[in-house]
Amino acid sequence: MIRMVGTYLKRIYSAFATNVFDVPPRLLSLLFFMLLLFLPVAKLELHILRVITIAFIFSIFAASWDLLVGRAGQVSLGHALFFGIGAYLSAFLSKFHGFPLWATFPLSMLFCALVAVLLGFPCLRVTGPYLTLVTMAFPLILSVGLFALEPPFGGEGGIALPPRLLPIEDLYQQRIAEYYLILFLLFVSGVVLYKLANSKTGIVLVSILDNEMASKASGINITKYKLLAWAVSALFASLAGCLYAHYIQTTPPGIVLGLTTSFYPVIMTILGGIGTIYGPIVGAFTLWSLNEVFEFTEELRSILYIAIIIIFVLKWPKGIAKFVVEKLDELTEKRELNDKKK
Amino acid sequence: MIESLIILGALSGAVYALLALGFTLIYGVADVVNMAHGAFYMLGAYAFSIILVDLGYSSITNPSSFLLITALILAAFFVALIGAIIYRLLVHPLIEDALSVMVVTIGVTLIAQQVILLAFGDVDMHVPRLLEGYGVLLGVKVAYHELLSFSLSLGLIAILWIFISKSKIGGAMRAAAQDREAAMLMGVNTERLYILTMAISASLAAIAGILLNPPAASTLLREWTYPLVMSFAIVVLGGLGSIKGSLVGAFIIGYVEQSVRVFFPGMGFLKGAAALTVMVLVLVFRPKGIFGKRVEAE
Repeated sequence: MIRMVGTYLKRIYSAFATNVFDVPPRLLSLLFFMLLLFLPVAKLELHILRVITIAFIFSIFAASWDLLVGRAGQVSLGHALFFGIGAYLSAFLSKFHGFPLWATFPLSMLFCALVAVLLGFPCLRVTGPYLTLVTMAFPLILSVGLFALEPPFGGEGGIALPPRLLPIEDLYQQRIAEYYLILFLLFVSGVVLYKLANSKTGIVLVSILDNEMASKASGINITKYKLLAWAVSALFASLAGCLYAHYIQTTPPGIVLGLTTSFYPVIMTILGGIGTIYGPIVGAFTLWSLNEVFEFTEELRSILYIAIIIIFVLKWPKGIAKFVVEKLDELTEKRELNDKKK
Repeated sequence: MIESLIILGALSGAVYALLALGFTLIYGVADVVNMAHGAFYMLGAYAFSIILVDLGYSSITNPSSFLLITALILAAFFVALIGAIIYRLLVHPLIEDALSVMVVTIGVTLIAQQVILLAFGDVDMHVPRLLEGYGVLLGVKVAYHELLSFSLSLGLIAILWIFISKSKIGGAMRAAAQDREAAMLMGVNTERLYILTMAISASLAAIAGILLNPPAASTLLREWTYPLVMSFAIVVLGGLGSIKGSLVGAFIIGYVEQSVRVFFPGMGFLKGAAALTVMVLVLVFRPKGIFGKRVEAE
């Protein structure tokens, strides 16, 4: 009996070793999550905790954009549409229809996936920069509509929400609990998106990106795969939107559907490395930590952090994560060469 | 009502055409989707007001049209210089990668917005009109400023058109637009050409910013979103990289906006959304815009 358990454990360990330890990006991601898991032990300030949690939310958002753009090549500049619909719908259902919070999340996510498929159909006719510019229009049109609604359903401030993502009395305890909840959701979304991006479906998507004609000639249903990418991407983008709405407790249409929100995932993904899924997460953390580093100079803050992002993009156009992984690969190759010489 | 629609739509369409022309020019020649176009628009209006104040202009005590014209030209040159520098330092190294170009130009926009916020605070800045007063045209009250803007825009567009179709540099632009490498083999210095194109494009945006701002004085000047989104809508409607297309697109958008204003008074905030909706609808039926190339038959 004990021996059986032992062999099982050994087998799990060896599978783990080959699948995680031998792949530098996966190992690094694991270490990073470990670090995040133990970070709250350090008794962080509420403010820092809040910034990190928002970085988690935007990591989910940027990773979902990466699946759509880095894998399926559908360069969308209107991802705020799904973020915003998710935020609004979840807030609306929980506040005015008395849905329990946990139920509003899957409902809004599914609704967003449906919207993505419906919008995806006309969008598939449009390619290249036309697609980029036309997707940008959707959240702007919707935000004007919501802006026109009277409070409490809309208006400039959006829907105000009670300050409870998790019902815990103590504020610090609540923030810690929310931190772990959102970290867990980031981990799950990250793994699902990464698995999907590297599964057979992901490879098919890349083949469409590389050469659409050749993929079509190989009998791939291009429309189906592209719509799938839209739907999955919208699913996770709206999860980020729901979390954001309940975390900051309001849904101002100018922000959740704003142009800047559409720009964030683009900046984060390019900064971290496109097409990798872990790249956008690196990008999101880089962006938010740069923003925090320059906190001391409130006035010059955004100028400095955007300037540094521009320098990063100029220096490593492939992204920080890809750069690091390539460096690691070079190191291991060198070591292997040295071993052989011996 | 119909006369007002026809005249006002044409007046705003011409300035929009000037705005969109710069955007379509740099895309057509260098394949750059310039997200900083709205920033150039904004910088143009600010530079104009500051230069005017420095020159000692005042709409009451010293209303000199010479100063206005000098300031207009200086502001356009200033923004053209900024555009050229940004292109050379930030955009050109990344020219092969459309998404990185997008990120860098978004960054430039955000920095420009922040710089202006720091320098001038969160207040409205007054951009003087080029001409004061009103006239009546076919029973519609029209500001002289708008009439002047209309003719100035059409004049500039005509000059640009002749420049591109007749001059040697214009020929190089058209060549680079068709095939960058072939143009290089024919001895065109594409880097210098792209810098020049970006400078022209930026100055067009700046002039549009100067001409378009006074009537919309109620909105904050550092609003770069609206001109950027409008340029997108116009060039996509007309077909990216097509000058004829952006002219037609600009007038369509101008008329759509004015119809919203005429038929739905008090719902001014809808006009941007209406313009974007028209753009989406056109794209669904003509995925490459009105004058763009049609997609190959599937």
